[in-house]
Amino acid sequence: MSVFLQQLINGLSIGSIYALMAVGYSLVYSILNFSNFAHGGVIMLGAYIGLYALHLLPMSFLGALIIAALGAGLIAVVLEKVAYSPLRKRNAPSLYFIISAMGASIFLENLVIATIGPTFKTYPEIFNPVPFTFGSISVSRIDVLMFVIAAISLAILVFIIEKTKVGLAIRACSYSSRGSNLMGVNVNRIIFVIFLLGGMLAGVAGMLFGMKYTVYPQIGVITNKSFIAAVFGGLGSLPGAVVGSLLLGLIETLSSAYIASQYRDLIAFTLLIVVLVIRPSGIMGKITEDKA
Amino acid sequence: MKRKWTLFVSILMVLLLAATGCGSTNGASGDATKDPIKIGWIGSLTGDQAPWGKCESQTVQMLIDETNANGGVLGRQLELVALDTKGDANEAVNAVKRLVSQDKVCAILGPNASAQALAITGVLESAGVSDIATVATNPKITVKDDGSVNKYNFRVCFTDPYQGSVAAGYAADVLKYKNAAILYDVASDYSQGFMQYFIETFEAKGGTIVAKEAFKAGDTDFRPQLTKIKKANPDVILMPYYYKEVALSANQARDLGITATLMGGDGWPSDTLFEMAGKSLEGSYVVNHFDYNDPEVKPLTEAYIAKYGTTPEINCYMVHDAYKVLLAAIEKAGSADPQAITDALTQVQVKGVTGTIKLGEKTHNPEGKEAAIQKIQLNPETGEYEYAFMQKYGAN
Repeated sequence: MSVFLQQLINGLSIGSIYALMAVGYSLVYSILNFSNFAHGGVIMLGAYIGLYALHLLPMSFLGALIIAALGAGLIAVVLEKVAYSPLRKRNAPSLYFIISAMGASIFLENLVIATIGPTFKTYPEIFNPVPFTFGSISVSRIDVLMFVIAAISLAILVFIIEKTKVGLAIRACSYSSRGSNLMGVNVNRIIFVIFLLGGMLAGVAGMLFGMKYTVYPQIGVITNKSFIAAVFGGLGSLPGAVVGSLLLGLIETLSSAYIASQYRDLIAFTLLIVVLVIRPSGIMGKITEDKA
Repeated sequence: MKRKWTLFVSILMVLLLAATGCGSTNGASGDATKDPIKIGWIGSLTGDQAPWGKCESQTVQMLIDETNANGGVLGRQLELVALDTKGDANEAVNAVKRLVSQDKVCAILGPNASAQALAITGVLESAGVSDIATVATNPKITVKDDGSVNKYNFRVCFTDPYQGSVAAGYAADVLKYKNAAILYDVASDYSQGFMQYFIETFEAKGGTIVAKEAFKAGDTDFRPQLTKIKKANPDVILMPYYYKEVALSANQARDLGITATLMGGDGWPSDTLFEMAGKSLEGSYVVNHFDYNDPEVKPLTEAYIAKYGTTPEINCYMVHDAYKVLLAAIEKAGSADPQAITDALTQVQVKGVTGTIKLGEKTHNPEGKEAAIQKIQLNPETGEYEYAFMQKYGAN
């Protein structure tokens, strides 16, 4: 029983990292109807910004986290201006956005390799590394912290979307950006806000990921999994992204625990494909006509 | 005018080559003559790998000078013919062709890289001249996929699978561990070979593999697998993969409360390993080619520094042992005939600085060679983690 509980905790901890990253995908998809594959690059830069904020400035963890969030948010906004805005103005098809996103992702990764270098960097030890233990179950402090910060960040995001005027405009745009535009919503501003929010979440996710594991130019690769989790939950649905991520984390963990670790990805992704065949829009997604 | 000269020189060279070629088909390395015995060396003297190649060729020159000063071998002096491969497989083939056809060397030492060592197989076989590679660890260099041996390829470094046997032997015989768990990279040849031989040896020595879990390179979270390993309660966990995943998995193992000893191979050492996971790795064991602090290694280090003024690379030690094996083979063969030397290479046993070396007939790899077992410890004086030399250890 204790092993099962430990595996549940492992699964939730992996799932909560996927969730923070997957929400960024869903935010962009809900408005622009394409998958922002440069999100991984923004997460990676967020991790580096957090690391240098901690190293260079004698500041607290919270200060560095805010700097990482703002820095990554800014990068996401710049990315939108450079890589997507010109395409939007020309009404380019979704495919072009995806190609541009992939190009931006490769650019960011190589920029870091060329300037900072390809080696691994470790965060300084901020929190007590001794894990909490309950009997034979152990939970590391950073996992608890990640879970709490992920929950707080997502709560703030939900609050913005559900309770504020900007949020109302975002929701309107996600139903129909053309209709919202006709009703006087400044769609460009909404897109700016979307990328800023998505980027800030990416910054938080990147810094937490870096603290838990390590920082290197290829950490954006993990967003492949979170993208799949977002599709699983229903691209464009924020609760769907969270649920999809937690489920993917749990499925991966439990299949490696109770079936075979070498078949983990095979089992997890076969299951996802089965779910998507039965319900193509994902668990909580709305039916859209063209998915990117 | 210039063209005429070029033509003249070319014709002259062709004639000269033809003359030396005809005159010495079985003569230059024959026994009766008192000419120097020629030993070939190939490796990188230019390009990215130049520091290693330069060190290797300088070491061979130093050793040959030493042998010559002591009266040479079979009453004859030795002569080195060192050719640059520029770190390129094609250049390695060209260099070997020249060594066997023009220079008539009795055998070749080097190269250090697997790709070059693999590329020269065909030329060696058609010329009937042997090569002893130094740090090329790919198993296929000496043994083909069908299990047959490449007749003229030898090496003095251990192969990737060999580390597995050494690790298992040390865990079972010296550390007296009974239960072992393995976490391995399902997508890596290195990891798979290491693991397979660990299991065979450990089980043959009466041990039990209580858990065998896989991951794929690029994964960052290993806790699902480690949780299963924890439940199996092993004495030792083998981690046969590279340092990034080693650091992450070691940290996560300790987070989960796993206290078992961790063990690994030459994929571990790196500048960032201790920075990422020093504390988690304290007390772990690493199987390495040799240890710089090993007392048997130090005289060679000092001799090299005295002659060349810089500290030697790993190649210095490996080529030293390759040279010792070759020298013993020449003496055993009693002649400088390449085929006689090839036959003798598996008949001799030498004590090198990296261990006792006996090349196996069926594998052409050093069999039972002792690897250096290192333990990761905290140095209380510097406050830093370091590799402490435990002992030399062989698999059999």
